[in-house]
Amino acid sequence: MTQATADDLYAALDLFRGKVNENQRLRAMNRDWNRDIAVVAKDLPDVEAWIRMRAGEMDWERQQCGDPHIVLTAPADVLIGIFKGERTPTEPYLDGSLTLRGSQEDVLRLDFVSLMIWGE
Amino acid sequence: MKHVLGVSLGSSQRDHTVQVSMLGEAIELSRRGTDGDLDRAEQLIREHDGKVDAIGLGGIDVYFFARGERYVVRDGLRLMQAARVTPAVDGSGIKDTLERDAVRYLLKETDLLRPTTRVLMVSAVDRFGMAEAFVEIGCPIVFGDLIFSAGMPYPITTLDELADIARRILPEMAKMPFTMLYPTGKEQEREGSSARFQEYYDAADVIAGDWHFIRKYLPPRVAGKWILTNTTTAKDIAELRERGATHVVTTTPEMAGRSFGTNVIEAMLVALSGKRPEELGHEGYAEWLKRLNLEPRIENLQGGSAS
Repeated sequence: MTQATADDLYAALDLFRGKVNENQRLRAMNRDWNRDIAVVAKDLPDVEAWIRMRAGEMDWERQQCGDPHIVLTAPADVLIGIFKGERTPTEPYLDGSLTLRGSQEDVLRLDFVSLMIWGE
Repeated sequence: MKHVLGVSLGSSQRDHTVQVSMLGEAIELSRRGTDGDLDRAEQLIREHDGKVDAIGLGGIDVYFFARGERYVVRDGLRLMQAARVTPAVDGSGIKDTLERDAVRYLLKETDLLRPTTRVLMVSAVDRFGMAEAFVEIGCPIVFGDLIFSAGMPYPITTLDELADIARRILPEMAKMPFTMLYPTGKEQEREGSSARFQEYYDAADVIAGDWHFIRKYLPPRVAGKWILTNTTTAKDIAELRERGATHVVTTTPEMAGRSFGTNVIEAMLVALSGKRPEELGHEGYAEWLKRLNLEPRIENLQGGSAS
């Protein structure tokens, strides 16, 4: 298995942003949810990614921007799998390979976002 | 005497034991809360397995339902499987019939419910029979599953959309720790006076569903509204009276000042029948419910004329 790269992670975040922003129902659900989410790939220590949720719309950038509401930490391949919809966040969360630091409601909401996009 | 134990993830402050007589049989119903501690609940079940006639699982669901689909809740199943000898039930065996019938009864026998009555159902996947009954009548309805479990300001207004969202979310969510999805332990004791989501309460004539969800964001005033729920205590009723609610309707009967959860009532039916839940089945439960003649209990909180 090849090591996931920063570019792989960035491509997955681009895909995720597109899916979030094109989903009108999801945007309505998150219209009150303004959150900063730090994405930390444990095996890519020099890579930084920062998700901003504002009024239902998502954007992301390649730097850390202050105090996040949620910190998402996992190996890069786990993060990429989640953002690309190849895996749900639930199993890595339950087996400890994905850690989510933040309020319980925010963590749950992030799960909902992922499942509303990819769940079937 | 038959012994029924309710093991709940809810607050231990709501513990109680009562003795009742049903169809000439004496039954002791005892409820033990574990303050959200799943391990303690499992231990309690193991300790009483084989020593009581039936166990009810409260403060947790084993199954969620939406449009013919059943979703198994991992933590709930763990508790159910902890009982190897004594039958353990979560209330889902009777909930559908009991709550569907309660809505039909209220339409037919009271002035509380009409096809124009606006309903806020705080959560429907744990009470799909009740949800379908309101929709059958034609009531304008908001299903608050996303609002009350995830804090998302998104009212679901049709059973189709509820089923669609459930299909996307529940297979995974049902694997999460149940304490993330539902108020347990001390969270159940927290004062519910947040103005958050008040618009949904304001827009409804009746607030229906799980009591702890109803209470989660209960506004300081709910004047003129009535509540359809169960598991209320005398303190809960007093709180609703103070906030101006007109009636509380519980789908399960009051025993010693409070209404029990459907899990305890289902466990009671299992104990009375002497059969296992799978032997009873839907028809067996329906027959026992008919024999017990359980009707919704309507309490007028403001002292006006009874409906």
